[in-house]
Amino acid sequence: MKEYATDAAIEMHGVSKHYRYFTLDNISLKLPRGQIMGLIGANGAGKSTTIRILMGLVHHDSGHVQVLGHNMPAQQVAAKWNIGFVSEDMRLYDSMTLGWHIDFIRSIYPNWDAAYAQQLLKRFGLRSEQKMKGLSHGQRVKAALLLVLARKPELLVLDEPTTGLDPVARHEVLRELTNVMADEGRSILFSSHNTQDVEQISDQITFIDRGRIIDSMDKERYLDRWRRLRLEVPRGVDLPALPGIIGIRRDGSLAVATSNAFEPELASAYESTGVHVRRVENMTLEEIFIANVEHSRDEVEA
Amino acid sequence: MNPVISRLILKDWRLHRRLIIACSLTGIGALALVRFGNESARLFGAVWFFVALIVLGAMLPSTAILNERKKQTLAFLMSLPVSSLHYTIAKITSLWTMFLLPWLALLVAAVLFVNASHTIPHGVIPMLIILAMLPVLGFSLIASATLVGESEGWLMGASLLCNSSYWFVWYLLSRIPSLTDHWGDSLPVWNTAARTVLSAELSVIVLIVAVTLFLQSRKRDFI
Repeated sequence: MKEYATDAAIEMHGVSKHYRYFTLDNISLKLPRGQIMGLIGANGAGKSTTIRILMGLVHHDSGHVQVLGHNMPAQQVAAKWNIGFVSEDMRLYDSMTLGWHIDFIRSIYPNWDAAYAQQLLKRFGLRSEQKMKGLSHGQRVKAALLLVLARKPELLVLDEPTTGLDPVARHEVLRELTNVMADEGRSILFSSHNTQDVEQISDQITFIDRGRIIDSMDKERYLDRWRRLRLEVPRGVDLPALPGIIGIRRDGSLAVATSNAFEPELASAYESTGVHVRRVENMTLEEIFIANVEHSRDEVEA
Repeated sequence: MNPVISRLILKDWRLHRRLIIACSLTGIGALALVRFGNESARLFGAVWFFVALIVLGAMLPSTAILNERKKQTLAFLMSLPVSSLHYTIAKITSLWTMFLLPWLALLVAAVLFVNASHTIPHGVIPMLIILAMLPVLGFSLIASATLVGESEGWLMGASLLCNSSYWFVWYLLSRIPSLTDHWGDSLPVWNTAARTVLSAELSVIVLIVAVTLFLQSRKRDFI
């Protein structure tokens, strides 16, 4: 397999994986060290498959995957020493206590930080003598996070960790992830279908839909570039097709245009054709995600 | 060797110690019946001796392999610095040690009981060992089918095949005169037939383990 010299925590190039009813198609993404990337997609979009390939648990059919400078899946053992992986469907041993799990992980990882683990126990409201079967879903997620955070991995790979959590537990988890990033060398890949969680902590955002990456850039660039323009189209004036407009909904003389490359000149361009721009609105990440998915699906079907 | 493998083996021992102890105690109790009971208690004890081994051989793959998939603890283990082959090596080692140590202890106890007995002829010892190898064979098949097949269906299928075959194989073995002719002897006789059957059992076990490792090493999707 081709060797890459990179400062990226994660690098995927042209990765594909075919299943009978699903194909992960030509995935390329890069997470620089020290950054948080949010991977957003609907259920079944390919987030978990992408993450399993990153972890070496599923072998890709084509393309190249490097995690922390290690080729995956061949060098997964070396890579995993510095990866903390938590997924929504991951469970710990029901019959054993959290303390037993802590001892188990501590026996494996020499850089286990016992003092930090104690802090996390308190912060998360967990007790080491609790058996896992007595924990709520939120407590189980926090326990799994404790087990990875206290070993200080360079890269955290979190597959929908906030799914099913109550608002308080979600806040605690997100706050802890933000704290983790105080250490500049650490990176996080965070998948979710909850755009609010991702927006809260991510530097970079990647949208995935139906096995394809449909967009990936800095969060600020998304928020800067995406706008909704509320237009009034006078009788006898044609609504022009302007560059940077990816979707238009029209209702009589009113129209809503969505732009993924907004510049102030865009509004001027409409005005110059006789179309009145009533309002230019910012879009939330959720609105951007939905507009992006719809645009991508329209393009595929066209 | 990857140091995490030994941690995974110890973890399995810790998690399944109750099953191992329960089956071992059942086996010892069954042997005590054979040693000290009347004739019907002896028969009952002999059956329970093998039942203890068969149950251990069927339960271990279910709890140690299948439950990790069903209860979704496998993702936790595979997040550790191990490959799927390391996991397989750890699992095969832990399963075999968890099964073989009680099996060996019970077999040694059974042979010692027979040796110390004045009523049971020592000539039954080769047959006892040959028959005791059958649960090992069954265990290896059930464990491998569960590990490779990754599903309850494979576990059930292999268990059904083995459990329904034990009595038939015992019947077939009891029909080999060169094995049964020496049952009443005062000393164990390891003739060609006894050695051949034992070698065949061992060869099949080695083959099953080798095929399991080969198939596991070729898997592309582990979870």
